[in-house]
Amino acid sequence: MKLHVDNITTSYLRDISFELENENVVVLGSNGAGKTTLSKVIVGLETHDNVIYDGERVSELGAARRSEALNFIPSKLEVFDEYIDVEEFLGLSLLNGSDQSTMESVMKRLGIEHLKNSSCKAISSGESQMVLFASGLLHNAALTIFDEPTANLDSDKKIKVYETLKEHPGWKMVITHDLNLAYQLGYRILYLQQGELIYDGNCEAFFASENLERLFGNSIKRVEGYFMVNYR
Amino acid sequence: MKLMIFLFSLIVLSVAPFIGETPLQIGKIFDPNAMEHLLFWDLRLPRVGAAFFSGAILALGGMVFQAVFRNSLTTPFTLGVSSGATLFTAIGIVFLPTSLIALSSLFSFAGAFSTVLLLFLFARSLRAEQTNSLLLIGIALSFFYSAALMVVYYLSDLEQSHSIIRFTMGSLNVVRVQKVYPLIAAALILLGVVSRYKKELKLILTSYENAFLKGIEIKKITLILLLVVSLSVGVSVSIVGPIGFIGLVIPHIIRLVYKKSSEKLIIAVFYYGGVFLVLCDLIGRNLGAVSEVPIGVVTSFIGGPFFIYIILKRRRTDG
Repeated sequence: MKLHVDNITTSYLRDISFELENENVVVLGSNGAGKTTLSKVIVGLETHDNVIYDGERVSELGAARRSEALNFIPSKLEVFDEYIDVEEFLGLSLLNGSDQSTMESVMKRLGIEHLKNSSCKAISSGESQMVLFASGLLHNAALTIFDEPTANLDSDKKIKVYETLKEHPGWKMVITHDLNLAYQLGYRILYLQQGELIYDGNCEAFFASENLERLFGNSIKRVEGYFMVNYR
Repeated sequence: MKLMIFLFSLIVLSVAPFIGETPLQIGKIFDPNAMEHLLFWDLRLPRVGAAFFSGAILALGGMVFQAVFRNSLTTPFTLGVSSGATLFTAIGIVFLPTSLIALSSLFSFAGAFSTVLLLFLFARSLRAEQTNSLLLIGIALSFFYSAALMVVYYLSDLEQSHSIIRFTMGSLNVVRVQKVYPLIAAALILLGVVSRYKKELKLILTSYENAFLKGIEIKKITLILLLVVSLSVGVSVSIVGPIGFIGLVIPHIIRLVYKKSSEKLIIAVFYYGGVFLVLCDLIGRNLGAVSEVPIGVVTSFIGGPFFIYIILKRRRTDG
């Protein structure tokens, strides 16, 4: 499967082009760099004619075909009806071969079985992020974009998400500004700054110290293989 | 609680046709020669039927509007759909020749429909999360329509303005079963379409983005749902007049009682919407000694305070 983003310009993005072929990727960038906009454009939530999935324009894909191909997991869980519980919410993502037993094993793997009967509106932000993450695994689209999957998580849950991302066989795009997560995942990196794609390449070259200094100045410090915010 | 309410609803439905200015005895209604026969089959039963199916339409329509517009205060009534229907009916009453007065129900339907089209146009230039703005537009539309209604009043003669006033208060005084048929048809079509899109409705009840990503043709389905609601509300207004607050009160009460997501409550909201209006009508018919209290007055007296209660409660939970 192939994704071709060809010269996309919107109010937040400037001339973004890249191609992916079944290749996992991490999208990095500071707040407001256009990461979420880019993913919404890719999955069709914002219409743009220049996104080509397997030779077809995403804007012209039928609804069912689109849900097989592309999925986007936002960073915040939004549920209007307060009586929809976690199990029902996840039940809506049983697509592309997932069933009740897949759902149970995913909930168990992520340690959220106890939330099964809780309202989606009553759980904490970290828990709802785990629920969203689970829905992405269950939906099992050809390409899943995870927007900040670890942003609100405590360290235990971060590790769980990281491990699950590693073991999940699907094609993934992970948006984050957690450099350590990006480094550990080791995927190809796209770095956005103010709507422009200013780095597209492999993980090692991105984390080379010259490159880090070029992008972040001295606000990031590498300490024994980990990246720290340099508060000075 | 659920069982109690259900038993109570059965009692309301079964006694409603028998209680009124003239109490009826069950034995006599099957005697074709008795006055009770006419009273029961041509007056009471059509009236209870009209109340039930209008209530059902308004309640289920309210629930669908709340889900689609993602705001617990939107109903065909609060968005100005009913006022649109009322204005057009008043125009029909004043400007149609007496021989064509039956056409005023078509006017009512046109009013409901054109208001929904207007709302669509406005909603398209709003973002999905701006449902409060849509609600404000609905309120502005209602004001505009009431001002226009004043103009129509001004142009009408005494008899016409009396008919307009009676119509705006809502009346379940339908004579003969035939008048109830369009209501039954509209109610069943609404129920059928909404049930058919149950799964889609559930996805809409999470979020539009989620529904889109799970492979729902979101624009097509919201359009179908809103059209079928405005169609059935138009039919209801044209026959029984604008009756407020049911679309607001019933879905909320049913949710509080059942504690389930709305798509599981389609039948319950439909049924209890019907029962609620039958009950309000029963109260309205039997309260006043001289003449009955108009149905719109009864539902507004109950619904108005409830509306305020919801707003206060909403403010508490939303911060």
